[in-house]
Amino acid sequence: MPIPSPFHERTRALCTSYRWKDWAGYAAVCSYDTTHDREYFAFRESAGLLDVSPLYKYEISGPDAAALLSRMVVRDVGKLAVGRVAYVCWCDDRGKVVDDGTVARLGDDAFRMTAADPTLHWLLAVGRGLRATVEDSSARLAALALQGPRSRDILRAATDADLDALKFFGIARARLDGIEVWVSRTGYTGDLGYEVWVERDSALRAWDALVDAGRPHGLEPAGLDALDVARIEAGFLLLGIDYYSAPKVVLESRQSTPDELGLAWMVDLDRGPFVGRDAIAAERRRPPAWRFVGLEVAWEALEALYESYGLPPALPATARRDGLPIYRGARQVGKATSHTWSPLLKKYLVLATVEASHAAPGSLLELEHTVEFERRRVPARVVATPFFDPERKRRP
Amino acid sequence: MAGDAIVLGAGQNGLAAAARLAAAGRRVVVLERRDGVGGLCAARELHPGYRVPGVLHDGGLVDPEVTARLGLERHGLAFRAEPPVLLAEEGGPGLLLARAPAAAASELARRSAADAAAYAELRAWLARLAPIVRRLLAEPPPRLAPESLGDFWRLARPALALRRMGRADLTELLRVAPMCVADFLNERFATPLLIEGLAAPALAGTWSGPWSAGTTTLWLLEECAAGRFVAGGPPALVDALERAARAAGAEIRTGAEVTRVRVERGRVAGVTLASGETLDAPLVVATTDPKRTLLELVSPGMLPLETEEEARRIRSRGTAAKLHLALDGPLELAGRPGERLEAIRIGGGHIDDLERAFDAIKYRACSPAPHLEVRVPTVADPSLAPAGHEVVSILVSFAPHQLDGGWTTAARARLLDSVLTRLERHAPGVRGRVVASELLAPPDLEASFGATGGQLHQVEPALDQLFVLRPSPSAARYATALGGLYLGGAGCHPGGGVRPTAGLLAADAVLARPQRS
Repeated sequence: MPIPSPFHERTRALCTSYRWKDWAGYAAVCSYDTTHDREYFAFRESAGLLDVSPLYKYEISGPDAAALLSRMVVRDVGKLAVGRVAYVCWCDDRGKVVDDGTVARLGDDAFRMTAADPTLHWLLAVGRGLRATVEDSSARLAALALQGPRSRDILRAATDADLDALKFFGIARARLDGIEVWVSRTGYTGDLGYEVWVERDSALRAWDALVDAGRPHGLEPAGLDALDVARIEAGFLLLGIDYYSAPKVVLESRQSTPDELGLAWMVDLDRGPFVGRDAIAAERRRPPAWRFVGLEVAWEALEALYESYGLPPALPATARRDGLPIYRGARQVGKATSHTWSPLLKKYLVLATVEASHAAPGSLLELEHTVEFERRRVPARVVATPFFDPERKRRP
Repeated sequence: MAGDAIVLGAGQNGLAAAARLAAAGRRVVVLERRDGVGGLCAARELHPGYRVPGVLHDGGLVDPEVTARLGLERHGLAFRAEPPVLLAEEGGPGLLLARAPAAAASELARRSAADAAAYAELRAWLARLAPIVRRLLAEPPPRLAPESLGDFWRLARPALALRRMGRADLTELLRVAPMCVADFLNERFATPLLIEGLAAPALAGTWSGPWSAGTTTLWLLEECAAGRFVAGGPPALVDALERAARAAGAEIRTGAEVTRVRVERGRVAGVTLASGETLDAPLVVATTDPKRTLLELVSPGMLPLETEEEARRIRSRGTAAKLHLALDGPLELAGRPGERLEAIRIGGGHIDDLERAFDAIKYRACSPAPHLEVRVPTVADPSLAPAGHEVVSILVSFAPHQLDGGWTTAARARLLDSVLTRLERHAPGVRGRVVASELLAPPDLEASFGATGGQLHQVEPALDQLFVLRPSPSAARYATALGGLYLGGAGCHPGGGVRPTAGLLAADAVLARPQRS
């Protein structure tokens, strides 16, 4: 039975659809309306306000805090400047990814980590013998994602944060309606956006202040359905959907390495040991077998397929997570793990894992597509991700 | 460069590893934190003029194949017949138990003809089982995932050997191995004193009582491992090992405490001493306690996370105390007037008394009626004490490392008093003849010998910490996940007690790999 988040009093009143789901043990809104369209367009045209309190959050502090995180994640956290956030993943001893999340450097010896899965035991295990303390702040801290082109204007009105100085992947303290909060320029929509971190007791005040400030800008409360479309457009991985946490799966074929997930860029091998380092170094001696890629389905072919049944094309209204086989000729060469119709790009987008030899942009593959209970295929071409990458996302 | 290999610890296993490596031509330095060699086997002066031969006081587990491989007889090692042990009883003569059934027959028959027959039968079964078990104890544990035909053979061979015992013997082994030793012995014998006395030695130093599951396996291992009895006790074994190691060219440095195993580019590079001195070597064979070695001597992060987790799960709780007494006259038992006894086992007379003695440590207390494994070394070697005087070495089971309220002076006095009270009932007047005493509680053993928890076997003997699981699955074949670091102490297969096998097997593992540098 999911429990209410710190914003539940507000979100409950707004959730006229009664569409909720369990996110990390919390009741989370799928969509406030019966469909998510309005919320999705808020993310892309004005701003959406999303309760992300269910994220797992940890405060790591002490003289060895940077050493602890550097040992745990594939990036060299020691290089992270105070006031900066890094997107990271971490692996087990075999170099298989356990989870991904963010690490924010709040001070010289103070970090905040977010994770999709509970991670306290992993932090404690890695931190053994180090002078660092780990606090699970998941329940103590509430968090809101304010995402969309108008998010900066809203925050400017609501807070005293120096938003011109807060660069992409920056984090700073700010006051919001007299409350001390952290504001980070991060998010999961691939757009201009921020996340606001606030003590649980002040959560409702923070919500109200942002909603008030957002009214003239068309701010909409948004749910997870809208987020799912946005994050696929942004090409972002989702744990448990696009890949699996290595310790939680039995088959090695279900596990992924950072290189296979397209996270090679964040792996820093030229430093002290970190968990999985040797295995990743060994993997690099030969290319990875799999690649995480984006695909665009050929619309004309899809339309023709439906036409052959005498039907207009029909796609699910929400982003889908049912795994679908991907073929090259007669052979299956991969699997689609997330797919959605992009209302903005007017394209059918797919996130998939395919054999590395078919992962180059332009590679033409086929996606299984069921029409009238019959399994057919439609052509889909590998394209670079993010599918949607607005300049405003990183512009100062 | 200090040499090809550094051995940590100059106890029996460290010396054995050094002797083997040096004999194979490796330049070896042994580093010992204490001021002398021998570790738990070293002779110890408990009071001016009074010495006991080692904290470990039994000389009966030494495998002749191991001593032969090390050439210890050439360096003065001698054996003698194992003395019988008296199972003492209040108000009676007790039961003088010899291992050989023929020697035990008349004593047993006085109690129960059926027990005498059952003892002979049990010994006969053990005699069929022992060669197979001894083979297992003299070799490294097999690879569970064979990498070669040889590995597969080594994995299959013990199974085939057991199969050759015949259906009846094998079925019996499979039936009894997971049992508790109390059930196992109760099935066979009727005399409570015999049952308690037979069960006790296999439980010494373990976190288990006779009603704990799996203790029959510990008992079978102990009985099958019983080898030849070292003349002069553990210190004589250490002397021979030291001579063998030095003769082969090993350098032994005492008073050299290692604080860090240094790692460079993911491999062992040497060690750092407490003095700040550094020694370089591509190989380190640590006969120190595995838990401390992996979690403290190696910096965090140098081992795979899983190896660290395994090391943290190792159970190393001390469960016994050692009491050394200096007496101004011989230890004489009321039930055996005039007899000189080397080995005496004092319990309550019933298997449940042994269980009660164990129960206490579960709740972080000492039993008010502890089980006493008594040795009287001056019987064989009167020179250990002034003329006419006696030294007595007592393993006291059970005593917890984490005593509620701590090991205060009062707590130590209470334990000493409960031991003397129990002893006094069998040897009236002994309390008045105590010249000096030395009590080593688990924290003392930890401080003196560096073993986590004061655990005498480094790693508690238990079904899940034996053989391919000792000290942990990934380190069971002596090599660790850290290149160049090997384990070779009592915490490794085949375990603790007076036998230097683990050190020898660790050296074998080193030598089986191609030499670096």
